[in-house]
Amino acid sequence: MTSHPTLRIPVARLKRMGAALTVVPLLALSGCGGSSLDDTPNADSTITIGAIWAQSGNYTPLGTDMANGFNLYLTTHGNKLGGHPVVVKTADEGDTDDTALAAARKLLDSDRVDVLVGTASAVPTVKIAPKATTLKIPFIGTGGRPSTIKDVSYIWHTSWLSRETGAAIAPYLAQTVKGPVYAIGPAYTGGYDQMGGFIDAFRKVGGKLANAEGDNPNPDAAFATTPYPVTPDFKPYLNKIRASGAKAVYTFYAGGPATKFVHAYRDAGLSDIPLYGAGFLTEGSQLNPDQEGDAATGIQTVLNYAATVPGQDNADFVQTFQAKYPTIPNLYNVTAWDAAALLDQAIAKAGPHPTGETINAAIGTITQINSPRGTWHFNAQHAPEQQYFLREVRKDGRVLSNVVIRNLTTNIAVSAPPAAK
Amino acid sequence: MVSDLVPWAVTALGGVAYGLLLFVVADGLALIVGVMNVMNLAHGASYLAGAYLACWLADGTLTGLAVAVLAGIAAAAIAGAGLSVLLKPLAGHTEQAAVTLGIGFIASWAFTRLTGGNTLSPPRPAILDGHLSFAGHGYPVYDLTFIVLAIPLAAGMYLIVRRSMAGIRLRAAVDDPLMAAAQGLSVARIRTIALATGTMLAVTAGVLGAPVIGPGPGVDSHVLTLSLIVVILGGAGTNIRALLTSALLVGMVENIGVATVPALASFSLFLIVIAVLVVRGHRQAVSAA
Repeated sequence: MTSHPTLRIPVARLKRMGAALTVVPLLALSGCGGSSLDDTPNADSTITIGAIWAQSGNYTPLGTDMANGFNLYLTTHGNKLGGHPVVVKTADEGDTDDTALAAARKLLDSDRVDVLVGTASAVPTVKIAPKATTLKIPFIGTGGRPSTIKDVSYIWHTSWLSRETGAAIAPYLAQTVKGPVYAIGPAYTGGYDQMGGFIDAFRKVGGKLANAEGDNPNPDAAFATTPYPVTPDFKPYLNKIRASGAKAVYTFYAGGPATKFVHAYRDAGLSDIPLYGAGFLTEGSQLNPDQEGDAATGIQTVLNYAATVPGQDNADFVQTFQAKYPTIPNLYNVTAWDAAALLDQAIAKAGPHPTGETINAAIGTITQINSPRGTWHFNAQHAPEQQYFLREVRKDGRVLSNVVIRNLTTNIAVSAPPAAK
Repeated sequence: MVSDLVPWAVTALGGVAYGLLLFVVADGLALIVGVMNVMNLAHGASYLAGAYLACWLADGTLTGLAVAVLAGIAAAAIAGAGLSVLLKPLAGHTEQAAVTLGIGFIASWAFTRLTGGNTLSPPRPAILDGHLSFAGHGYPVYDLTFIVLAIPLAAGMYLIVRRSMAGIRLRAAVDDPLMAAAQGLSVARIRTIALATGTMLAVTAGVLGAPVIGPGPGVDSHVLTLSLIVVILGGAGTNIRALLTSALLVGMVENIGVATVPALASFSLFLIVIAVLVVRGHRQAVSAA
């Protein structure tokens, strides 16, 4: 049985840290006055939400974390969003875009949901997006978004754009690492976007890669690729790093592959070469003693959340979360929590009988989400304009934790992917 | 340059460990397919069960590992015997494949429920933790120990099957069940023992191999695929030498091969399988003509 150590974040300390940043909470945007009878939701106005959470495959832990974050918001808000009772239908994302599309089809065609939420992997959103758009059902993504989605009229992400994470740390690495950086990641759309976003931004600011020419014949990928979803053993790939003369390694892995990668990195004797990664490498249950455990110590990652982020919203969230779950809250909890918070605001503004169309229109009018990660708003790409943090895995008391070291650039210009694919 | 060869040597060592691990798993499968004449597609789940067992029972000591091995053997004996009873009325390979595949899926679902779908990494015994360094290239002490232990295991298997009375009975039951029965051998009992032993090998490989191929979603089907390939290349039955050769070949392709041509990594093994089977089939056709 997986042991989840009981973890506590000192909430009081967070509150003190965040006191300076705490803003007077905005007046609740719920309701349009509430006096008109038309505005009173009735029994017919129950909102059905379709949630695609990974319940099998590599990203099962992420799916569980997202479901927990979303459901926590609902249970702490009387199972209502925007004043309407809510029914959540769930379906399993699985390991591929086909399994996720099947889940979306079931929710859209059979359950007739009003809103679609979910997916841990970025990849399936490409297939789900057009289907939701055609049916005029808003899709609130809680995992990454690939660069290939063009029509975002019904697509909103409370999470991140896949090319954004690596781009946020690139200037910092170009500045601080004294020498070339070796880039390695998984060969699937998520990996190409995550690593591509890093490499493009890294090169733009004069960074140099350590990867040998021809390490990967795919001209779109300058990084060393490993097979996805299964890389049985990372050591054959890691054995090339020493000879490359790299002064640091940057990588993107999440879930099961991340656990294997971190252990293989230590086993390959590379501990003297600093390991940097997209935050997913050490996020969520990854730091459990029976997963990465101490092997993750010292890894520095970039992400748009950490449980130690200062601010009143985060302090409140951490307290609420830990009253229910024995773990430290993570980004996946937060993106799903924010999806519920977003819908709470939007449904309240979507009229007495909200439909997919009116909810979608209402989302477009939301100016601010008070998220545990800090306040954010949607940019033109329907994704959060948000702060990124550099974090380091350290012992925080008895347990390992992603500790925020510094803020990274806020306005990340995410470069477009190469035109020819 | 000698230093250029070091990474390749370390990677080749990884191939040996990988191959030997597959050998133990595939050996069990060959026993089940060859002796029981059962297509057991739950074999990968047996490996996964052993690997999870290691995560739950191993505590960073050799004693913990030994306890995990013994618990695995006990559980495998029961599971193997149970499987034998369940499969008794099923004669055809297709029926057996369907039933065992189903059992494998159910087991896999249960593991995901129990572990939250996490890929776990069991603690290695402290005495075997850490790595040796060859010119800056690390190799885990545990994997090296595994190689050292697996070689006598393979040799022992060979001697048991070739030389011992149990081995002779086993081969008799494989080669000619009717004649073996006429000689007074209980073929039914031999089959049950073979199925239990085959499952034991997979579970033990899982317990010992957890730090090499760790438990997680998809590992069961991965291990099943690789051991099927080893059995197909090496032949179902009791030819230990052929099995060992093909297991080492698969291990090498999965390590040296994927490092040499990373672009082909996800299917390079199948290129080899296709080549070997086509050439072999062609040769057999020629020699038969």
